[in-house]
Amino acid sequence: MDPLFLAYSYFRRRKYEQCVELCSQLLDKNPYDQAAWSLKTRALTEQVYIDEVDVDEEGIAELIMDDNSIAQVARPGTSLKVPGTGQGAPSQGVRPMSQSGRPLTGFVRPGTQSTRPGTMEQAIRTPRTAHTARPVTSASGRYVRLGTASMLSSPDGPFINLARLNMPKYSARPNLAKSLFEYIFHHENDVRNALDLASGATEACQFQDWWWKVQLGKCYYRLGMYRDAEKQFKSALKQQDMVDTYLYLCKVYVRLDQPLTAVEVYKQGLQRFIGEASLLTGIARVYEGMNDMSNTVQFYKDVLHQDNMSIEAIACIGTHYFYTDQPEIALKFYRRLLQMGVYNTELFNNLGLCCFYAQQYDMTLTCFERALSLASDDNMSDVWYNIGHVALGIGDLTLAYQSFRLALASNNDHAEAYNNLGVLEMKKGRLEMSRAFFQAAFNLAPHMYEPHYNFASMSDKVGDLQSSFNAARRASDAFSDHMDSKQLLSSLRKHFAML
Amino acid sequence: APELAIFERRNWLIHLHFVRKEYDTCKVIVKEQLAETNGMCEYAVYVQALILRQEGRIQESLELFQTCTLLNPQSVDNLKQVARSLFLLARHKAAIDVYNEAAKMTEGDWEISHNKGVCYMYLKNPEQAKVCLKEAISFNRNELSYIMLGKVYLAEKDIHMAIDVYKRAVEFSPENGEVLTTLGLLYMQTGQFQKAFEHLGNALTYDPCNVKAILAAGSMMQHHGDFDVALTKYRVAAAETPESPPLWNNIGMCFFGKKKYVAAISCLKRANYLAPFDWKILYNLGLVHLSMQQYASAFHFLSAAINLRPKIPALFMLLAVALTHLDDPDNAREAYEQAAAMDGDKDPMVHLNYAVFLYNQGDRRGAQKQFNSFETATKAQGNVEIDPEMLELSSKLGPALQVGESMVWQQKAKAEVKPPPLPQVGLRTH
Repeated sequence: MDPLFLAYSYFRRRKYEQCVELCSQLLDKNPYDQAAWSLKTRALTEQVYIDEVDVDEEGIAELIMDDNSIAQVARPGTSLKVPGTGQGAPSQGVRPMSQSGRPLTGFVRPGTQSTRPGTMEQAIRTPRTAHTARPVTSASGRYVRLGTASMLSSPDGPFINLARLNMPKYSARPNLAKSLFEYIFHHENDVRNALDLASGATEACQFQDWWWKVQLGKCYYRLGMYRDAEKQFKSALKQQDMVDTYLYLCKVYVRLDQPLTAVEVYKQGLQRFIGEASLLTGIARVYEGMNDMSNTVQFYKDVLHQDNMSIEAIACIGTHYFYTDQPEIALKFYRRLLQMGVYNTELFNNLGLCCFYAQQYDMTLTCFERALSLASDDNMSDVWYNIGHVALGIGDLTLAYQSFRLALASNNDHAEAYNNLGVLEMKKGRLEMSRAFFQAAFNLAPHMYEPHYNFASMSDKVGDLQSSFNAARRASDAFSDHMDSKQLLSSLRKHFAML
Repeated sequence: APELAIFERRNWLIHLHFVRKEYDTCKVIVKEQLAETNGMCEYAVYVQALILRQEGRIQESLELFQTCTLLNPQSVDNLKQVARSLFLLARHKAAIDVYNEAAKMTEGDWEISHNKGVCYMYLKNPEQAKVCLKEAISFNRNELSYIMLGKVYLAEKDIHMAIDVYKRAVEFSPENGEVLTTLGLLYMQTGQFQKAFEHLGNALTYDPCNVKAILAAGSMMQHHGDFDVALTKYRVAAAETPESPPLWNNIGMCFFGKKKYVAAISCLKRANYLAPFDWKILYNLGLVHLSMQQYASAFHFLSAAINLRPKIPALFMLLAVALTHLDDPDNAREAYEQAAAMDGDKDPMVHLNYAVFLYNQGDRRGAQKQFNSFETATKAQGNVEIDPEMLELSSKLGPALQVGESMVWQQKAKAEVKPPPLPQVGLRTH
């Protein structure tokens, strides 16, 4: 059989290693075999290919030294930095907040846990539920790690020596240039050279090929030149409507902290591609980032109309129903996930909670047992924490205490468990212990208002008004509409103002 | 022109900025003044200490006030401020000592006696506290002293004395919403609903958004079956405090009274979500589920309530009712026994339900015994109004058991266990 034909066949069957091997043999025989060369670059690229549309986590460096956003103090509802007051969303007292000041999402994806801290100090702190110590240090660090794949796969040096590549020659040859570009971008992860090649190629085809413009935009995006990226994507869209291009453009706008423009562009895309689920999902995500729950749920429902297997949509809607006092409906959504084959700790944990709050007691414990048996070190503590809540619900305080303890055993930094242990100790009347627990809780998670308030009200009771005042102030910083903190503060202010 | 005495030269300016709450400017001037006088200007130190206290930095402010007393040991004000700082730092004993020292310098100072009383209250010494507070009132009638005195009495569970004190407080300051509300709540506790309503109404006229008063007034309206009026009241309160468990509990029970069970359950559940330790909410949830005939759920809520508060006979009675319907007569009987033993012949309902249960089980003698306890309990209650449903049931059961005064009926009583009337949970008095 013709070895090139066989190599193609391997490529189509996604057996990239064999394909690369065959191509290497062909290239050994004839180093100028363009077909084999091109196929090898494609095979190597495919091995490490990542869809650029979704995966994106902002690093601390990007977050803190962000000089792209237009307004430093944006009006509420126009920025992702200052999540709005939350239309249609239950208050913080009902649905917990993440560190970024947004309600907990039903679906953990990049950017939902560590977004947009105000200060460096805040950035380094632990996100609310993620077990990882802190957000990624820098996005570029991540890409470097992806790039190291190239060194593993070829022990006798890199396949293509980029430094010695004659870029203008290749950029003038459209048949080779595209696969070479993807190789440089994804496999070598050398954005500068990729940009060189792309700008040469787009010139060579007289700026007529939209594909090159999109690639240029991707390069600019990686390099943090968002305005240039925006220009390229827009010009590509003029030539050719593509879903991908819309998604890239919106990513740029989100990075520029212009969520409303992003939604606008998504909607333009929807006019051309009616009912495209990825565009709808994008809108829902932006609204969720802005804390606008009614729109979020609306768009996730639209997603489900188009794609009724969308796990993200189902999970988010389920969470929304759970926190708006409709655990029965949430249960339906989560059951759907189970039917679809999702089989993990988080799902069983949520099912267990829904069953408990929907009073289907027979299923509760089995769900939690399943969740525990599936749990890894990362989420074991959360399962125990929720079991503790169920124990509180049936009034079994000893079991609750033990569960919270177990939650701490598997994750030492579980601030919510510390807080609840503090409350239980307070109920037993052991004030010193509970004070220590509250302190641990609010040092770990200063964005939660509960431990601050608990600490304040406890200090107020024993008469230590200074600590109480400071804690109450922190509580109302974390949750500005909390009535109890406000009342406590005003009564303390009266105390202080009295001469 | 000759310069004024250098130490006090700019006191007027400091004072002006301080009373305008321009603390930043004030601090700058104080700093300059202190630098100029090598920290000898008493007034500057004093004002700085006050500002620090406003900012919640009591420890630092205490140190400054102590400096003040060093600068001017004759001043009572300085001593009082030192004591007050100690009080704010929860060092009550030390505070009392300083107040005593201050009291030596001056006579008849309301503030000293009042604060001493409050310190004694925190030290759990009610006798001394009462003495001090009464002394304070004799020096100067001030509503704060009345409120504190009332609190001392309440801590001793002496409601009547507390009512008395609050009554005098209301005479003195008839527009204080807090005092009016507390008095109304106390009247409610003693069962004087007319007076309670009067005072709560007054409180609401002066402050229509007083959540405490709204809750109390609403629960009284609920008691009289005015569910719609109560709900409109609660709507005001819900805007003020959307996360108040007693509020959601009362709203839930309003819906229950209007026979909107699903709404009732969802409100009560929210209340329970917000306050998982409140047994009254669990009790109400159990009750609503019983009347929805969801006995397993009712059982769970009631058993949770019992876990939290194991000393309430009504809980055991409801649990027994749930168990009866779950076809577990043995445990139901035990629950009834528990309820009856705890109750000690006070609540006729327990005995009546127990009698009905025993009768249905075929234990005629036990039923008769319980029915007799029921009758004695009813008689012991005397003038209190008896629920008509209960009367009807007992008038059927009595003849069937062949006890009691009425004549013997051949027909068997088709006894149905009735849940007790709704317990109206008012608000927790702090």
